[in-house]
Amino acid sequence: MDKIRRALLGQIAKLTAGAALVPLSSIASAGINDQPPRREGDPEKRYAMLIDLRACIGCQACTVSCHIENEAPLGSFRTIVSQYEVEHEDTGDSATFMLPRLCNHCENPPCVPVCPVQATFQRQDGIVVVDNEVCVGCAYCVQACPYDARFINEYTQTADKCTFCAHRLDVGLLPACVESCVGGARIIGDLRDPESQISRMMKEHYSELMVLKPEMGTAPHVFYLGMDERFVSRPDAKPAIWDVRDQQGEEIGYEFSGH
Amino acid sequence: MNSAVIEVLAPRYGIAWYPWAVQYFFLIAVSYSALLLTVPGLLFGKKNYESLAKVALLVTVSCTLAGPVALLADLHQPLRFWHFYANLTPWSWMSIGSLLLPVYLVLVVAYAWLAWRPAMQAQARGNGWIAKLSGWISLGEWHAPRWMLVATGLGALALSVGIMVYTGAEVAIVKARPLWNTYWLPVMFVLTGVVAAAGLVILINRLMTGNDQEVNEQSLKVIVVTMILSALVAALWVSEGITGFSPSVEQAFASLRGNPEWRAVAIYGLLVGIALTLTAIVTLRRPGWLGRSWIAGLLAVHIGWTFRWMVLMEVQTVAKNTAGYYHYAIEAGSSGLLGIIGTFGLWLAALLIIDILVPWKKSLQASSH
Ligand code: SF4
Ligand code: SF4
Repeated sequence: MDKIRRALLGQIAKLTAGAALVPLSSIASAGINDQPPRREGDPEKRYAMLIDLRACIGCQACTVSCHIENEAPLGSFRTIVSQYEVEHEDTGDSATFMLPRLCNHCENPPCVPVCPVQATFQRQDGIVVVDNEVCVGCAYCVQACPYDARFINEYTQTADKCTFCAHRLDVGLLPACVESCVGGARIIGDLRDPESQISRMMKEHYSELMVLKPEMGTAPHVFYLGMDERFVSRPDAKPAIWDVRDQQGEEIGYEFSGH
Repeated sequence: MNSAVIEVLAPRYGIAWYPWAVQYFFLIAVSYSALLLTVPGLLFGKKNYESLAKVALLVTVSCTLAGPVALLADLHQPLRFWHFYANLTPWSWMSIGSLLLPVYLVLVVAYAWLAWRPAMQAQARGNGWIAKLSGWISLGEWHAPRWMLVATGLGALALSVGIMVYTGAEVAIVKARPLWNTYWLPVMFVLTGVVAAAGLVILINRLMTGNDQEVNEQSLKVIVVTMILSALVAALWVSEGITGFSPSVEQAFASLRGNPEWRAVAIYGLLVGIALTLTAIVTLRRPGWLGRSWIAGLLAVHIGWTFRWMVLMEVQTVAKNTAGYYHYAIEAGSSGLLGIIGTFGLWLAALLIIDILVPWKKSLQASSH
């Protein structure tokens, strides 16, 4: 991607992060593929997360603690920290860029209206959840999420994703990833409370915040501080991880069967 | 500059829709397209299209019966299919589809039943278990007036439009996959569906009837026309991407840029498309070549099926978030190869059972009244 487009994308990312502060939805209309009304959850709250990339050391403590807390099957992740090696264009110095990914609990979540049985829905506090007693496992929501935040859980055969640890939030605990973050990079809180840490930080860093894939119009509610525009959308990078092959050309280092 | 970024760690995301989905989209498209091919002969009662209608009716019924099974199998929780009806969700295309599909199926079967009924009743007058069964299936000797056939036919046609729209829209609204997110996709599904249906009609005509030349000729003409339309649509889609008229198509192009496998796919698609169109034209033009229409028939079925395979399966290997492409190797198990073979087996079984029970080659109700 050329420089101008990159800069443009960065701008959109910033603008969208700003626009998302104004809660524009709860407007439900009846058209096909429009957002249905929200249900359950506290209407007084709007949960969101701010990730301070400057504090992320890429230790994957969040990945592991989430995995244990939410019992995701091996090889499937509700959150993960993508890591990139970036070489400086002029000096040749290299640095590592860490990008924690999770469900963005979008204000306009494309995964919700597609669900044919209303198993996926958005709570009034903004958290997008799946009722896996209702889910038929059609995987339509998995296709519709632009962030690969969803997967079909091979144990339950239903859709699975990050819930901001709603079960913990509801009893006053922090999400497992926030709790375990070594650098304190993940800040979760209520955007409707002007005194919450996240509200204060969003105000303070308003112009620097970015969201992922703003061009999708999803209005993500995971905001990144210290973000590099190059990673806002699908990065123009060389995939290294799956290129590890043995002498027969077979992929090695991947031990989860059944994929 | 950008080549200086290496993705060191990223999870692997599996595919979420399995080849079952391809089978469903293929069978249902052949079903509604073959239904269209029955219209002149059966609904309008045009004598010179009756043979075409006979074969097309067999194709549409067998595909309509087998298709929904593949759809059910693509659910990870197939036994929960009743949730669709317990939680009606009018804003979800898939939910709308779950309402249209059963009605469509019933209407197609009723339409065929009425068309085949006079011949079934005649068969029931004979001896043996087939005669007995035919009597049961035709539900007595009473005469079904032609308006019933016309009404169910028109109903099935109306519902088939619903199926075309919903199957197309369901995929085309997915913004997260720019390669799907275009108005042209539903159109392309219908056009390639018609191509495949005409091809399958030619093949069945070759294998199960006397390779009727009129059927071959009519089907080949359908193929030529729809292939030219498909080429136009493809050209429009490409130009939308090149000119940036559609940002989503532009994104779709960008997502494949520099990928040699996708370039090969595009070139292959272009070549088979040209090959089919030319084969169909030459077969039509050369006197005495109509008997070899099955070559074009095979190509046509291949295009209809492969188009869906590329769109539904291969597009899922284009990463949404991470660098590069996933590798999808088709599995041997029921979610892979076995599923594909199984669905075709089911379709074949439906076809053969109808062939045993129904004297479908005899006159249809269209001409007997
Ligand atoms: S990130 Fe994906 S799963 Fe999460 S709310 Fe947005 S679209 Fe839905
Ligand atoms: S997989 Fe489950 S949650 Fe997702 S769209 Fe299908 S039924 Fe809804």
